[in-house]
Amino acid sequence: MPPSERLPLEQVLEIVSALEAVVLRSFGPEGGQVLFTRDTGQAMLSRSGTCILSALHLEHPLARVVVESVWKHSRGTGDGSKTFILLLASLLRGISKATSRGPSASHAYGFTEAAKAAAAPYFANKLLELVSSDLDDLIAVNVVPYGFCVSLEDFTTHSGRLLLASFFHTRVSHVHCSYLSELTCEMLNRWKYKSDLPYISFQFLSDNFPALHTPVSGFPVSSSRLIEGQVIHRDFATPCLPSKQQPVKVVVFTDYMQPILLSTGDVLKLGYGGGVTPESSIVHFSAWTERSLESVIAELQSLGVSLLLSAVKQSDAAVALATQAHMSLVECVSEEELSLFVQLSGVTPVSRGCTIQLEHVAALSFCRPILLGGHRYVQVAFCESPKSSKVNPCSLVICGPGEGQTDQYICAIRDAVCMLMTTWEPKHTSETTASRGTLQSDKGTASLDMTPTFQSTANKPYGLKKCVFEPGCVIPAGGTFEFLLSRALPNPSSDTNGLPSVSQLLANALLSVPRQIYSHSPKLFLQAQTRIMSLVQNPSNPFSLGLKESTPGPMVDLGLESVTCKYQLILAVVQCATSVLRVDTVLHTRTALHTQSKKHTIFSRASTEDEAED
Amino acid sequence: MALNGDDEDYEWEPPTEAEMKVIQARRERQDKISRVMGDYLLKGYKMLGDCCDACGTILLQDRQQKNYCVSCQEMDSDIDKDNPALNAQAALSQVRERQLAAQTPEVNDGPSSSSSSTQASGSVPQPRPEHCEGAAAGGRTPLPPPAVPPPSAPVPATPLPSARPPAPPQSSVFSPVLQDAEEAVLTKLRWATAQLQSSASLEASIQLCSLISSCANSLRSLKELSQ
Repeated sequence: MPPSERLPLEQVLEIVSALEAVVLRSFGPEGGQVLFTRDTGQAMLSRSGTCILSALHLEHPLARVVVESVWKHSRGTGDGSKTFILLLASLLRGISKATSRGPSASHAYGFTEAAKAAAAPYFANKLLELVSSDLDDLIAVNVVPYGFCVSLEDFTTHSGRLLLASFFHTRVSHVHCSYLSELTCEMLNRWKYKSDLPYISFQFLSDNFPALHTPVSGFPVSSSRLIEGQVIHRDFATPCLPSKQQPVKVVVFTDYMQPILLSTGDVLKLGYGGGVTPESSIVHFSAWTERSLESVIAELQSLGVSLLLSAVKQSDAAVALATQAHMSLVECVSEEELSLFVQLSGVTPVSRGCTIQLEHVAALSFCRPILLGGHRYVQVAFCESPKSSKVNPCSLVICGPGEGQTDQYICAIRDAVCMLMTTWEPKHTSETTASRGTLQSDKGTASLDMTPTFQSTANKPYGLKKCVFEPGCVIPAGGTFEFLLSRALPNPSSDTNGLPSVSQLLANALLSVPRQIYSHSPKLFLQAQTRIMSLVQNPSNPFSLGLKESTPGPMVDLGLESVTCKYQLILAVVQCATSVLRVDTVLHTRTALHTQSKKHTIFSRASTEDEAED
Repeated sequence: MALNGDDEDYEWEPPTEAEMKVIQARRERQDKISRVMGDYLLKGYKMLGDCCDACGTILLQDRQQKNYCVSCQEMDSDIDKDNPALNAQAALSQVRERQLAAQTPEVNDGPSSSSSSTQASGSVPQPRPEHCEGAAAGGRTPLPPPAVPPPSAPVPATPLPSARPPAPPQSSVFSPVLQDAEEAVLTKLRWATAQLQSSASLEASIQLCSLISSCANSLRSLKELSQ
């Protein structure tokens, strides 16, 4: 193996074309699903480009770079991973065609070899300049007028459902599209903050989604429903259940109630100051810890607490004393669920060493076990309070016939919420990531211990994100965006060197998307193109695209898609193409330099572990 | 953009139709390779960071840790389809060309058979040697008579007698023609065998073996005719 090698454009194109061939058959509303199976029998069913690409075994560094870009983009916007690869492949193909102007064998080259090698990054840089500076204006002037803005009040009516339905069309089978979009709409409705931006509720849902849903396998999809309150995915550690009388008082512990005697690596020095005396022995110390535990339990009893939520596994003595005091204990609650609980209930968790006061006690309207699938969980519902009266917390139970399908639906719903969050992102003109409002001002809580989870965890692609469109801007789906933008891109005559202009490259690449959507019938592609071109030329046409939501045009029946997501997709694709074409050399090393990147799917985590073992 | 010398730029011409066909064929082949590679990736093959030494395609590795090159092991090569010894289509088209060419000279005697076939082949498009690119174009458009000798020096004028049609066209006098034909084929067979024993190059040996096999086929067909 040579220590380093140049990366020719042909190889880059080959890799991206292979990845394109992988996702092509799942692309579009008519696309198919990919079933992955492992030797252990575990199956994964997916139409999401990110899941499919992350599950492949890819050792080539460039392929990994591309998949990483797709993953980052999908994490930020929730949609468009297959379109990403499609656009990237057609863009690279266009650049390759532009740089190789002559047959290689017997004729003089149009470029020298070195010039040919430099031409591709040149195109990429020019393209990056074009999209960074002009693209948002082009879209705002030429594309946005043909769409419309969906306000939050209308979200739960026709337009919002249509937007969700067209999203789910590309992710799940069409049979379940409408049901899942109804369910998601209902959930969003219940989590709406009436006086605030819809963006904040979408962001909250997106950040807390792991704690807000419960997967249940073995039931049909139509059994999925919303249930009141929050589901804590643990069972009671004590045999007694909380009393049925309202309100149920609860305290949250983040640390051990009983100070731990000794753990691995600890050194306990008894009677340090005055030397070892007969009184200061280990027996006295353990007696002291038991007494402190008893006092904690006594204090809890005096406050009338009947439910304890703990982030860690409490000692046996603590469990026994809690049982004796008729208190229910739920142990090992995950950090996300605990932070969500703290946010919704307004309670301060008890940390090590602090005494329990009233601010640590919250009131719940009920707390009971709930049987979901084969597991018993704890369902808690929050009391109505003036602060939280705007929100009606609910948790989503998603059912599927098998584990693979259930995961598919969960991913689809999570990405749908992320897509909505991107669509309704408030308009900003700064180039830094927008400062996102949190719930704290509304809730009036001061739960600072859990602040990391309050911040958004979405990874913004390359930090060059501008939110320049009105929130809620949508456009009819089916290639409308691509047709309009490709027509709007400037088409100057080739510059003096005879090179094709970069805007032409981008326009041709964009057209590959609707071409693929209508690949099963090229006639439809031409029909769609002529229809949109005629609309552009006759703006007073009665069959114009629905400019007002009240009178949606016939094209809205195709579905809706978000303009912001498309804009960010194009930005991300061009940035990825630039970074890929700027690679000069690949250095082969013996040891892995990269750390395992955090990814959603089980498959990719397991596969990277396998590779690390090799 | 001053990336190249000005004189090279002025010499560039748009590709001719034949070259366009070659480019198109190559692009289709690349698309096919990508599609096949995508299928293998979905089957669980691993995409390696190395390229195949022969053709430069990215290597795949299956579950048994065996490396696999899609274009070498699965796709028909770019130029193999024009080699009559490897591809029936190419052989058939060559037979037809020979028949067409041999119709024009009316005399088809034995002693002059080889010279007439030489003349005939002079006006007939010949398949270029395997490793010359553009053989696809060579197969479709008529080439000028090969003024340049084929690069494989040990096998001069190899395709000539080996691609001879097994049945002499429209000749009423069979026996002497057949005998002469057999003699010529046997001579060539003997010569090819001698060459094969002394040959050091792989390409040449392959071509010689194919020549021998086609000579044997011709002999068989001649024997069938004479019966």
